[in-house]
Amino acid sequence: MHPDLPHEPAESGYDKLLQGWLTGELRLVNSGLPKKRCNLRELMAEERPSVSCSDGSDQLFKRSELRFLAGLLDENEQDSLLLPILIEMTGAESGAIVLCPSDVELKIVSSVLGMRLSYERPGRVRIYKPQLSLLRRTLKTTTQYAFSAVTTD
Amino acid sequence: MAHLIKVRPTKIELVKLKRRLKLSQRVQKIVKDRLSILTMEFLQAARDTVKAKQRTMTAMTEAYKAMTVASGYHGYVALQKELVACEADISVTAGPRSVAGIRLPSLELNEPAGGLRGYNLTQTSSLVDSASDTSREALRAIIELAELQRGLELLGAEINRTKRITNALEYIVIPSLQVTIRFLTMKFEERDREEKARLKRVKVLLARKEG
Repeated sequence: MHPDLPHEPAESGYDKLLQGWLTGELRLVNSGLPKKRCNLRELMAEERPSVSCSDGSDQLFKRSELRFLAGLLDENEQDSLLLPILIEMTGAESGAIVLCPSDVELKIVSSVLGMRLSYERPGRVRIYKPQLSLLRRTLKTTTQYAFSAVTTD
Repeated sequence: MAHLIKVRPTKIELVKLKRRLKLSQRVQKIVKDRLSILTMEFLQAARDTVKAKQRTMTAMTEAYKAMTVASGYHGYVALQKELVACEADISVTAGPRSVAGIRLPSLELNEPAGGLRGYNLTQTSSLVDSASDTSREALRAIIELAELQRGLELLGAEINRTKRITNALEYIVIPSLQVTIRFLTMKFEERDREEKARLKRVKVLLARKEG
């Protein structure tokens, strides 16, 4: 072994500590993701509209936001809108991606931002930071961030 | 601040270090993303808090003004008699909301069903209605402010923590791993060169022996 090397606390301990810390961080950033998403109509009927998250906690939706969304959609669309709407953040690309499994999400995002948007890829709409800020300001509880790391190597 | 990590100079350690470096870089990307999101949310919350504070002050001023006018018109005792009958607990829906992994409070005032005020409308004037409306508005503003201020505190604390993590990864963990990987790679190359030189030397010795 190299004599000039500084001493680490314990080789395997350090390794485990670092690994645990890094994976813990990864788990933490996505701890608020919902286990199961519910549609708008179901949530409107609930006394305390919420979904359970992957860490076991609840994500409460504000009634005022649900009413706002219901005002933008007809009854069929309310059935197909799954909440929370997921916003994917990938470090590799600029801006964020709104996951839109149906056209209803696209309609919502377009209405909130006041501009016509189109799919970048099927089911994915790209928005940029100022738009993201506006979207989050309007839909604080009905949108949720999802972090993913796309590695190029 | 990059320092060499004390590891056994073996290939398996090198593979482990490379794997650790990859994981660290992946986490760094995510943490940086998270930091930018938290900062954006923090700035938004700060702007909203300032607005909510102004709204609360205005609403409270209006509510007190309206109440003073109403009590002046009806008389303090008569107004109190009317209002005692309609006293009710306020109902607030409270729960958590998650923003990039942190739990922020979410508070919402539940509006009374049917919009009933609870006092006798025939015995009172529109001044009481106005006082009631402005008071409810003040209450709504207070609840909004409470939510925003607590959220602001939590976001600030989380930004501090995330910044420390980003700095640790950027200036200590990743450079140390890179330096150690470079050191081990050079060591293996050196070992290969030594091995080659040794083999050449053995070959020469064998050739000399045979000759």
